[in-house]
Amino acid sequence: MIEVQQLRKYYRRSRGLDGFSLQVSRGELVGLVGPNGAGKTTLIKILATLIKSDEGSAVVAGHDVFSDPRPVRASVGYLPDVAGIYQDMRIQEYLEFFADAFRLEGAVRSRAIQQALERSGLADRRTDFVEHLSLGWKQRLHLVKCLLHSPAVLLLDEPATGLDPLARIALREQLKHLRDEGLTILIASHILSDLEDICSRIVFIADGKNIREDSDFALPATQQAASVDCEIRYLGPRDTVTGALAGIPGARILEASEGYCRISLPGTAHESSDFLRNLLALGLTITSFDTRGLGLEAKYRRTFERKAP
Amino acid sequence: MTRFIRNPMILKELRQRLRERRAWLLPTLYLLTVSGTVCFAYYATTTMQPANRQHPLQGAEIGIALFLTAVVTQLVLLLLMAPIFSAGSLTIEKEQRTFAALLTSLLSAPQIWWGKFVAAFLYLLLLLFGALPLLAICFAFGGVEVRDLLQVVGSTILVLASISAVGLWCSSVFRRSVHSTAASYTIVLVLSIVTLVVFAVWSDHWQTATARFNQPYPTYIQAPLWLNPFYPFLSFLNGNGAEKLDSPLSSWLLYSAIGCLSAAFAIRNIQRAGEQL
Repeated sequence: MIEVQQLRKYYRRSRGLDGFSLQVSRGELVGLVGPNGAGKTTLIKILATLIKSDEGSAVVAGHDVFSDPRPVRASVGYLPDVAGIYQDMRIQEYLEFFADAFRLEGAVRSRAIQQALERSGLADRRTDFVEHLSLGWKQRLHLVKCLLHSPAVLLLDEPATGLDPLARIALREQLKHLRDEGLTILIASHILSDLEDICSRIVFIADGKNIREDSDFALPATQQAASVDCEIRYLGPRDTVTGALAGIPGARILEASEGYCRISLPGTAHESSDFLRNLLALGLTITSFDTRGLGLEAKYRRTFERKAP
Repeated sequence: MTRFIRNPMILKELRQRLRERRAWLLPTLYLLTVSGTVCFAYYATTTMQPANRQHPLQGAEIGIALFLTAVVTQLVLLLLMAPIFSAGSLTIEKEQRTFAALLTSLLSAPQIWWGKFVAAFLYLLLLLFGALPLLAICFAFGGVEVRDLLQVVGSTILVLASISAVGLWCSSVFRRSVHSTAASYTIVLVLSIVTLVVFAVWSDHWQTATARFNQPYPTYIQAPLWLNPFYPFLSFLNGNGAEKLDSPLSSWLLYSAIGCLSAAFAIRNIQRAGEQL
């Protein structure tokens, strides 16, 4: 659905993108993380047809972003990082304007507006002025505005910025729902816990380049591949842990320190729970046993800590 | 063509403009100023006559004086207002961060421009036509024909359309409304005052050098004046030097060209505006 090849974008004094490549399949929800100035917004702006790259190619929904921007706009819903809103319009008028701007007509137009009002939960407030909405409601309105023309791809740049926890949870649920509906979503965000919760893949970007990619964040541990990463915090000798691991073929210690170790166990969550039982039977006091593996935040720190100023 | 007529931008812009307080405040102040000036002109024409006047004051003289006062006041006010409406049109979208949503919709750059232009221009037309009854008073005194009225209104419309287009071009160039409005006012001032000063200096120099005091000015002397928005009104100054000037056709053509060029450059800037966001 999204194919980006070797994109380069230079600004007067800096590099926006430096040979960035990315493939996103239909129905994927991909997170884009990286420090400020890494190139996330530049990439999303290019895909939204707002700016042109200096080199490379970008195809969205089968259309070239640079040579064929109109069909790309018809297939993309774009939510910028700081999205402005027409404060002096009523909610319904706002949606009507964008429905007209996307050339929706007749029954399709009415249905799209009604659906947007219901989806956002603003159906009862349709005649209210936009300026009377809280930030969370405005963000909902933004999101449904982006969905008015039933785009195949959603490009979201920091959609949760400034939202309170409840609004963030609501946004997350909405995005999950859209993902389940089959929408392809590319989301740039600094809120790693949100991305961890909803994304099927995370792309790390720094200095305009791909640094790393991680998959299967949103899948439960039981559905994951052949091994499970476990983080164990314990009171007692390390030998007990290493001894218990010695009897499991394929198990290995990834990281260890006093009272802590991160290990990779073959099998699924069932095997890791057997291992936990084994450790307890050996008399080790376990204070924490986490099979979620290394979290996105830790991965982010490991990836970018060396780059931090 | 239908897309330009049924342009959602026009409805949106008009809706937003007419919800502002100035939507009703400006026409009120505008009509009060024009009528006040016309009343003053009537008082001045009828009471403040020179002592050496050889014939009694004619109705036609009052009519022409009132007409000229009204149309000049009207154009001055409209020229002052035109940048307010046009120069902020696109910059406000940039300032409110709503421009990205427009650029990533299926609205084309010409449609965005047209929507903004029509909304700004229609408001100026509302003011212009609102003052027509005041201009019509002049017919009661004589000296002014319907043809004169049509010529003045047509010329004012052309000048306002061009100035609105220039304002929109400024709005497409700058990021902030304050800069774009300042640039638009500078252009209006240059067109209205600097052209007049240049013409005055050149014509004086030419007359002194050639001693041709009653002959028409050559084209190169008149040329700066074609850019002056008040130039078409000078043809009403019969016997006051207007006979030495060409017809306003050159001025109209020049203003049409300015308007078209401004529109073309503004549309090109809108197409590239994503880089500014």
